[in-house]
Amino acid sequence: MKKLLLLFILSIPSSAFGQINSSEKQILSLQSIASGLSIGGYGEMTYNDPDSGASELDVQRLVMLFAYKFDDRVSFITEIEFEHVKEVYVEQAFLNYGISDNFNLRGGLMLVPMGIINEYHEPTTYNGVERPSLNNKLVPTTWREMGIGFTGRINSMSLKYQAYIMNGFVSYNGDYKLKGTNGLRSGRQKGAKSVGSNANFSTKIDYYGLPGLKLGLSFYKGKTQTTDKSIVGSQVGVSMLGLDARYIKNKFSARAEYIDASLNDTDLYNKLSGKDLGSKMAGYYIEGAYNLLPTISRQKLDVFVRYEDFDTHSNVSGSLVKNPLFHRKETTFGLSYHLSDGAVFKVDWQSKGTAVLDSESKGQFNMGIGVFF
Amino acid sequence: MILKNSNNIRVFFCLAFILLTLSSFRVPNKIQILKKVKKEISKTFSIDSFLLEPIKIENDSDLTVDFSKNRFLKIISNDFLIGYAYIGNAPSKTETFEYLVLFNNDFIIKKSKVLIYREDWGSEIGSNRWLKQFIDKSLNDKFIYRENISAISGATISVKSMTNALNQLLSSLNILIKKKIL
Repeated sequence: MKKLLLLFILSIPSSAFGQINSSEKQILSLQSIASGLSIGGYGEMTYNDPDSGASELDVQRLVMLFAYKFDDRVSFITEIEFEHVKEVYVEQAFLNYGISDNFNLRGGLMLVPMGIINEYHEPTTYNGVERPSLNNKLVPTTWREMGIGFTGRINSMSLKYQAYIMNGFVSYNGDYKLKGTNGLRSGRQKGAKSVGSNANFSTKIDYYGLPGLKLGLSFYKGKTQTTDKSIVGSQVGVSMLGLDARYIKNKFSARAEYIDASLNDTDLYNKLSGKDLGSKMAGYYIEGAYNLLPTISRQKLDVFVRYEDFDTHSNVSGSLVKNPLFHRKETTFGLSYHLSDGAVFKVDWQSKGTAVLDSESKGQFNMGIGVFF
Repeated sequence: MILKNSNNIRVFFCLAFILLTLSSFRVPNKIQILKKVKKEISKTFSIDSFLLEPIKIENDSDLTVDFSKNRFLKIISNDFLIGYAYIGNAPSKTETFEYLVLFNNDFIIKKSKVLIYREDWGSEIGSNRWLKQFIDKSLNDKFIYRENISAISGATISVKSMTNALNQLLSSLNILIKKKIL
């Protein structure tokens, strides 16, 4: 440690930078930062009308963002979320410490970087009234956890990196939480008096060095949390891999996400709990969109189609039999009319099917208004 | 690196705290922006020593960019005019950022760089590869988002802002040349 400290001190330059003349002094004033409070937010009001059953009108989310800059290096960012008007959550709340231009330390309640939508979930950033179903059942958006780690960018390589040690899903807190239909989703803790028995590791690298293309590689590994470690089998191991791509060229845009999650010790967990948690969950979606308005227009009218194929019972262990209902195949097509960069009106139709032989797909019509500012 | 139990979580947090404390020894760089400007000029024009001479521009309602506070400079090396530097400010999602554009003495863009970016959203525009799109363009060029300037998913506002800022800079310089101020 002493050696490390010595190295650190030696690396501090003895003189910062030569002489500054009077005309250069004015340039320095340009770097003064606007410290203080920034306010932003996003919201989505939705209308879902399934072929069978009652339709629903909902203020699905209204999220207020507050960011406070203490100085040019230290800031606090939080998002307070109202779901369905009356449920209040904290979606993010973290302190960011910019050690240098391209290296930040972060701690608090943060989004887990997995795939596209978990981080970029504001309604103006994706097509479709509802987020892709894969990002509900497989990546339990909005997935956030308490943790600490670092993030930054390397401009010369067009890379963004993130790495965090985080808390994980709770699998047992008196009740067994995880199940086959939505995998890990019911184990989300959202930073509310969350059980912390095992640290988990989350990392993502984004590459945007090719014109119009952004590629992402995410990885998450760890173990679920339990209030009683003496119950062997109350925890499962989680390894999740995500690959994503986004491409924009003239009026055309496309994106794809692939997620592969392996869960260990599910056989014992299912035996103890009577649940039906799969040992592997995997799937993808792919989407293409075309802007019907001229590129010089301030507005954008994207017509899109998305196909999803994912299975929360991609594999099962022990005596558990695969449930074909958990293998979803969904198609969504519709329009996203961006009235401005931060305001969108959406309409789409979804066909939700499963791998069950000769089963009929269920249709659903959706409309929504989304804002992001 | 997976930590197995909560004792290890404690160790991790202690280590993180020590690292955080060590970082406070870092000398705050109050002249960061100037240092970056000079470094880019040296690299772009392959010169070690040069002078930066501010160009005073009177207020003019036709100009769409700010020329105050010595934002626009002549680059002089060995008594020769090598080129021009402009340090601009443009909005990102909730903040503003500073950027640099270097021209040669024929007003051809030789370099564009984001000097200070103050938020996470949209910071992809700092990518050297993306900024390369502006290089070797002249005052007669016009940049159009999603046509000759590629989009970056997740950075739309900043990409449009930088594109717009460059268009305004080129048109303002055109006006100054037409008015024989430059």
